[in-house]
Amino acid sequence: MADGPLRGVRVLDLTHVWAGPLSTRVLADLGAEVVKIEAPMGRGPRVFPEKKLIDGWVGGGPGDEPYNRNAYFVKLQRNKRSVAVDLKTDAGRETFLRLVRVADVVIENFHPGTMPRLGLSYEVLASANPSIVHVSMPGFGRDGPYSERVAFGPTVEAMSGLADVMGYASDEPRTTAMALMDAVAAVNAAAAVVKELRQRKVPGPGAFVEIPLHESAVTFCGPWLIERQLGNPVERLANRHPGMAPHGVYPCAGEDEWIVVACRDDDDWRALCSVVPGLDSETDIAARRCDGPGIDAAISRWTARRDKRVAARTLQMAAVPAGPVNTTPDMLIDPQTRERGFFVPIEPGPTPMPGNPIKMRGISSDDWTPCPKLGADNAAVLRDWLDYSDGQIAELERAGVIVDRPPE
Amino acid sequence: MDRVLEIGGVAAGYCGRLFVQAGCEVVHVAGEALAPSEHSALALDLYLHAGKRRIRTDDRKIIGELADRADIVVAEAPTAQGLTGLGFDDWNAQVRAAITPFGRTGPKRNWSATPGTLLAMAGYTYLMGDADRAPLTLPGHYAEFQSGGFAFVAANASRLAGERNVIDVGMFESVMALSQFTTVLWTCAGEIRSRHGNDFWYAPPSNLFPCADGWVYVNVTPEFWDAFTTFIDRPELVLDERFNTNIQRMVNHEVLYEIVAEALAPLSRVEARERATQHRIPCGELLSFDEALNDPHLAGRDFWQRIDGTDGPVRSPRSAWRTNDAPAPALALFDWERAGG
Repeated sequence: MADGPLRGVRVLDLTHVWAGPLSTRVLADLGAEVVKIEAPMGRGPRVFPEKKLIDGWVGGGPGDEPYNRNAYFVKLQRNKRSVAVDLKTDAGRETFLRLVRVADVVIENFHPGTMPRLGLSYEVLASANPSIVHVSMPGFGRDGPYSERVAFGPTVEAMSGLADVMGYASDEPRTTAMALMDAVAAVNAAAAVVKELRQRKVPGPGAFVEIPLHESAVTFCGPWLIERQLGNPVERLANRHPGMAPHGVYPCAGEDEWIVVACRDDDDWRALCSVVPGLDSETDIAARRCDGPGIDAAISRWTARRDKRVAARTLQMAAVPAGPVNTTPDMLIDPQTRERGFFVPIEPGPTPMPGNPIKMRGISSDDWTPCPKLGADNAAVLRDWLDYSDGQIAELERAGVIVDRPPE
Repeated sequence: MDRVLEIGGVAAGYCGRLFVQAGCEVVHVAGEALAPSEHSALALDLYLHAGKRRIRTDDRKIIGELADRADIVVAEAPTAQGLTGLGFDDWNAQVRAAITPFGRTGPKRNWSATPGTLLAMAGYTYLMGDADRAPLTLPGHYAEFQSGGFAFVAANASRLAGERNVIDVGMFESVMALSQFTTVLWTCAGEIRSRHGNDFWYAPPSNLFPCADGWVYVNVTPEFWDAFTTFIDRPELVLDERFNTNIQRMVNHEVLYEIVAEALAPLSRVEARERATQHRIPCGELLSFDEALNDPHLAGRDFWQRIDGTDGPVRSPRSAWRTNDAPAPALALFDWERAGG
């Protein structure tokens, strides 16, 4: 587990998929004691039907415990502990509620009806621990006309309005085609947790906090939504920008290699003109907007003959905002990520994982722990948090209430 | 409640917005020259700066005095050097959070950046757009908002611990930290995610499909496949060997997408939504901003927060969190104050 300013904060993490585990990873990186409460089949079956996973396996292959090596899953779980407990049993539910009594936060991203169906509504959690902060990350929220709908990042992104400004042309809407809004919700949820912990006065009341994925997506689009109310147009501009010109993605030497170049103001423009031939440094922004295709062609002629990194470095030396369109191999060898130790080879392989973007005294990846195996911390957590005896723990194991591998 | 001083642009502004939503007293300081945004200054101000006192000054002495009286300072600068130039290292606030494009150290700490260059360098731009065309950048302020969020988390964590601390948040790293389709796909599967337009690609059918009055996005991860076949009135597809695993659906995605397109084409967005709800399928109708503003669900949940600006009220998204179902209080966009006033 990592050390950090959240040391001593106990989080029971029932989240799954992307937004929730990403959120608790942020908290764990800052020292919170995050215990994943996992269903016995939460990581899939004991034997995976597919030998190939989309994101692959950490450590090079599925090994004997494929459920512990799914890279998509593992990526989100460092610095956490794992308790695999069957909440559908009375003993499992009782064990969980005992953990709630000594925890600070319960966080989940289920459908709003799931926790009540498990007999674990906020009211039940609060009766076990009045100071508990229950953070719920449903798709659409507990109430409202869409509360029964199922949501993923790409579907709520479509509903946010973002495609009004994203795409190649007015009749070609595009989405990010990734779960961008999960990441937005993840940071919002981490923010909500620390905010509630600061406002809570133990032993006073805790709180029920709701962070629907849909609302995070709409919140992200706030400035455009206000723009429309002000009567201002919003446009789908491809890679152009209403406030910067030129602004684009330009081809570089090599197959599918690109660079982004942007001029925020006349200073940037003059700097660009000092590097790229065929541009007039006296052209003001209005004229640059009008002559977009001509300027883009001149920039493209220059970039197309250059490696994207070399082009970016050359432009940056003249103080022009420019950045290569990177892929993961590019990022792994980027001098900036290397010098700051951003990618951390924490998982088996060793497999580098994206690090913590927060740098501050008292936190370091030196004390990070990799994704725990399923149920790896059953005994330790029950002992440390609840003073369970070896006999009590053995009884739960015998009854299949706590497990360290999926049932057969 | 903390007294928060927020200095700089969109990232610090977003961080300050979170502090306002948390009930803190926030003072926003901005210089005369601001980086261009794709939004009008008023729209950004209404979104980011409602509920804050606002002071426009470049005077380092005044900024230093304000910083010394704050519990938390969140300062954003275009480069590490620019941050130092503000006097960041001399301030006495208990928690000082710096937000810069690349962080305060490293060979690129003084590189010039925009939201577009940061997304490109952090691996996002390569993934967005069509395979045979230039990649598409993401409009808006993703890098700034997310790094502002990280600064908020870190500052509050420090305050919770009672620690005096200095925080360094880089936008480049903030974006990389949150990526879904970059690192492990390469390090564990040896693949670089390519561009596929609106196609999520790894869980077919997951794409934007035309319907009778617009578009809908369906996102059918494997656990939803069986229900999806019923949703499109093609239950026999469950037994179709071309589609009986996720990998098979990827291999045969072109024919699958034709089937889905044919099924969805006659439905209106509302019909698709109602059927998706009934069959529990992840499906979202493509809405314009105007339609999102009139979304009955958001209205029904009292989602919008009233912001009183100089030209009348607007509706802004409330904080993404809601505590104990508390309503979002109305806020006002205050006039700029004279420095030293």
